[in-house]
Amino acid sequence: MSDFRAMLASPHFNVSESFFPNINLQDGLNWAEEFIQNVVLPRLPEAVASHFPVELGTVLVMFACAGIFVGVFPLLPLVLVLAERKVSARFQNRTGPMRVGPWGVLQTLADGVKLLFKEDYIPPQGDRFLFLLAPYVIFACSFAVFAAIPFSQSILVSDFNIGIFYIMAISSVIVMGVIMAGWSSNSKWSLLGSLRSAAQIVSYEIPLGLSILTIVMLVESLSMSEIVASQSNGIFSWLIFRTPFTFIAFFIFFISSIAEVNRTPFDLPEAESEIVAGFHTEYSGMRFALFFIAEYANMFAVSAIAVTLFLGGWEGVLPGYDILGGFPGFVIKSLGLVFLMMWLRWTLPRLRVDQLMNLCWKYFIPIAFFNILGTGIWGLIFPEDTLISTSISCAIIYIGLIAAYKVAGRTLAQRPAPQPS
Amino acid sequence: MDKYIRNIYRGVYTVLVGMRVTIRQFFEPNVTHQYPYEHDYEKKRNVREIPKGYRGQLYNRIEDCIGCKKCEMICPVDCITITGTKLPRGEQLWDSMNVVHLKDGTEVIGIIEGDDKKIKSEDSITLTNITSRLGSQEVIDRLEPSGAESRTATFSGDEVSRVVTRNPVVFYLDQFDIDMSLCMYCGLCTEVCPTECLVMKDSLEGIEYSKFDRSDLIFNFDKQEMYSKGGTEDVEAAD
Amino acid sequence: METTQQTESKIIELKPFADEMVVNMGPQHPSTHGVLRLELKLDGEVVREAIPHIGYLHRCFEKHSENLSYPQIIPFTDRMDYVAAMNQNWGFCLAVEKLMETDESRNFEVPERAEYLRVLICELNRIASHLLSFGTYGMDIGAFTPFLYAFRDRERLLLLFEKVCGARLTYNYIRIGGVSEIIPMEPGSIAEQNFLDEIEAFLDYFEPLIDEYNDLLTKNSIFAERTTRVAVMSAEMALSYGATGPNLRGSGVDWDLRRDEPYSIYDRFDFDVPVAVDVPELGSVVGDCWSRYKIRMDEMKESVRIVRQILAEGLPSGPVMADLKAVRPPQGEIYFRSEAPRGELGFYIVSDGTPKPVRLKGRSPCFSALSALQELSRGLMVADIIAIIGSIDIVMGEVDR
Repeated sequence: MSDFRAMLASPHFNVSESFFPNINLQDGLNWAEEFIQNVVLPRLPEAVASHFPVELGTVLVMFACAGIFVGVFPLLPLVLVLAERKVSARFQNRTGPMRVGPWGVLQTLADGVKLLFKEDYIPPQGDRFLFLLAPYVIFACSFAVFAAIPFSQSILVSDFNIGIFYIMAISSVIVMGVIMAGWSSNSKWSLLGSLRSAAQIVSYEIPLGLSILTIVMLVESLSMSEIVASQSNGIFSWLIFRTPFTFIAFFIFFISSIAEVNRTPFDLPEAESEIVAGFHTEYSGMRFALFFIAEYANMFAVSAIAVTLFLGGWEGVLPGYDILGGFPGFVIKSLGLVFLMMWLRWTLPRLRVDQLMNLCWKYFIPIAFFNILGTGIWGLIFPEDTLISTSISCAIIYIGLIAAYKVAGRTLAQRPAPQPS
Repeated sequence: MDKYIRNIYRGVYTVLVGMRVTIRQFFEPNVTHQYPYEHDYEKKRNVREIPKGYRGQLYNRIEDCIGCKKCEMICPVDCITITGTKLPRGEQLWDSMNVVHLKDGTEVIGIIEGDDKKIKSEDSITLTNITSRLGSQEVIDRLEPSGAESRTATFSGDEVSRVVTRNPVVFYLDQFDIDMSLCMYCGLCTEVCPTECLVMKDSLEGIEYSKFDRSDLIFNFDKQEMYSKGGTEDVEAAD
Repeated sequence: METTQQTESKIIELKPFADEMVVNMGPQHPSTHGVLRLELKLDGEVVREAIPHIGYLHRCFEKHSENLSYPQIIPFTDRMDYVAAMNQNWGFCLAVEKLMETDESRNFEVPERAEYLRVLICELNRIASHLLSFGTYGMDIGAFTPFLYAFRDRERLLLLFEKVCGARLTYNYIRIGGVSEIIPMEPGSIAEQNFLDEIEAFLDYFEPLIDEYNDLLTKNSIFAERTTRVAVMSAEMALSYGATGPNLRGSGVDWDLRRDEPYSIYDRFDFDVPVAVDVPELGSVVGDCWSRYKIRMDEMKESVRIVRQILAEGLPSGPVMADLKAVRPPQGEIYFRSEAPRGELGFYIVSDGTPKPVRLKGRSPCFSALSALQELSRGLMVADIIAIIGSIDIVMGEVDR
């Protein structure tokens, strides 16, 4: 135990190899030990004090960090649910919830309380054990993802050297929970929903992973903090602008991640107009709330990952200045992507299941492979990220967008004439 | 390959067009309002006004009801129940009130001075004993151009569109029940009413009358005490 | 002959599709447009058979009518297709008027002003009905926003109806021999002018919005993917199932009662009848869900055109109700059909000369269109079933009556 403590306390403590919180860890440990030695120990009987484990302070700090983590992140979905309702209301010329609290800001809280008190119905013919387990699997996995996301230089729970790999791995466990929920409910709608979800998530993992691979090829690391660190030279060093291929990869990543979190236009697993509510049809009360919270936590998580990988993470727009940088910048960028997701959701209709697969296997995966090829060639031509390579990349992106816009103008002119009658 | 790129292109393009439509609406004002809190349409622009002639809750001015049972007969769902005793031939309790329809859509209830059956379209009309149609003071103020004190008003002939003449009340009404849980709000009964005493409330109170018990939706309009007083001078609206 | 029957029966006995899953879709389901129940036989996501079960909203309209006098039946027609109640009122009144015309001694004319008001209100009602159809179809396909946009605009129309007849949904406005006078509107009065101005304001507001909705939903490539080449109803099939209205025109049959058998004063107006054509840009072929949907969007424009013509002419002065002492059609029978938003609405009335009909039969366009569902849905996916139900635009109140 004392070795362990020495390791934590030593100045050479290597953050990247540990699982422990990084929020002013050293200060926290010292403070906790001082607190125990100066406050707790004198008050204890001497017989106990001499044997009192001082390391308990370290453990307590870890628990406190975990408590903050567990306590703070579930609040995020509460905010996001309200935000979604308000944003959708704005898109539809409505006001959204207005009754609970000023401007309805406490609505989600009220809903949560309501869900807590609702009957917890378990289908008697279903698989009881799996039915109870499924929401926790989904909930745990969606929050475990947050452990590897660097919110700022100092706010990250753990900096693995395989951070992005860990995120990919953990987030694909969610599909297990979905299948469990669908199977154990003993409902045909649930089963349909969960199988749709399984097919969808497994398929969209591939373009997602391939897009991440382009980033990994450029950064030559799986560590999230190193990925962020490589984007520290302002907006044009962000990986999205680094090569034209990452620009495409960003969109593939973003759309695939919308599919991963089951949102419109890819919300087939819970398509309300087709299969009622999909895999969580039979859930009620707090178990349903867990699904709901997990869904919104996921939504934020994928946005945060997209920001980390492509949009500079917590790095600012300009190299020297802290514009859109740090923790607030990171959150603003992530919420921007969340808003984009909401915007898409309240605009688009839903795909059919075969079209969903078409989109993935016929469009995203080939383009993602093309991206990898392109990124590799780009890496051969420009081994180092220089001003020249960035300028060329940005020029190509600009020209591409302009060309697309011009073609749009032409297609607009060639719009189909009104139907003759 | 051409079709492949065209598909991608069309997908992206139409999604962007759709997003442009929705983001425009993002900055448009609300079209909804907070109903139970904001139903004062005079204060807020987008709150709708309950229009004149809205088919709300049925209401009967029982003093003017002559017990003709036309409403009971026309009702397609039999929600009106009337029982009464007819007076002996030649006797009558009192006359029902006149209803004067003005051309601007308002209606005034009162008693026309002189013989109302001889009124021609160009004559001016003097109404006395003006009362409210539905009984509440706000409606009086809305309907009635002259002051509440005098309860008298004169309308020139080109203002008036239609006059409902007075009818003798020859029935003792023992029961006049309307079951609003059965009513289908077709408005046929108000059209056939010869004295226009059976009306549908076109105000908020004609809409917001939900009850916790279905039996509370049976409204009894019969008033036995009015027979003891007698005469039109005591005719006051219900409520 | 005998051998083929034997082989067929053998195939059925073998039951090669052992994994068939029977699912009840409805009557309580978000997108069965009321209380339609579908018995789906699924092979995974693929629908082997979809058997519609109806009758959950049956209210004995036809039997009930036999005990009611003709004016009393009108509020019940409101409850048939409650989305387009004005047109239902009109269809019934037209039938009764036609029946009464057979008796020379009781001849009467529906006043000119009433005819104009009828066309005006019914075309606005057609817009309201198609708006609802557009909105719910968007929601069936998964886009929620068009639904609320449609309701936003429909609300303005409902306010207009409310001003003219006092009700928002079940109007009881069009009467035998004219229109309701429950809210009097003097010819040339300020009230009439305000009413017409409000309609004009609505049309000015609404007409550009149709193009916006086309941008938002009709031309959206996901929407087009979902609806084009799905459930193609050929012209022969549409005719054989008795599909009418937008469903028939969506199959490429150029048939509209307003133009081809003009009743009332429709022959005075200039309007086009939209008929589906192939749209290769979006991959649509004649008769698919997208064509049926698009017909409705185009019909809204045509309705706007008709209403604009009425507004340009102005309402003629005169009474709104024919001088009818009592509605007592002579002995006889009549079938009269009119073009409701959902298709050909027919009423068959048998009269024995009393104030009550001996038999009344409503020919529901939705019922005929719904009968095609079973054939259309075979071999498609679950999501397509929803697309078909939305595209044939059924209202269960009219199917079950």
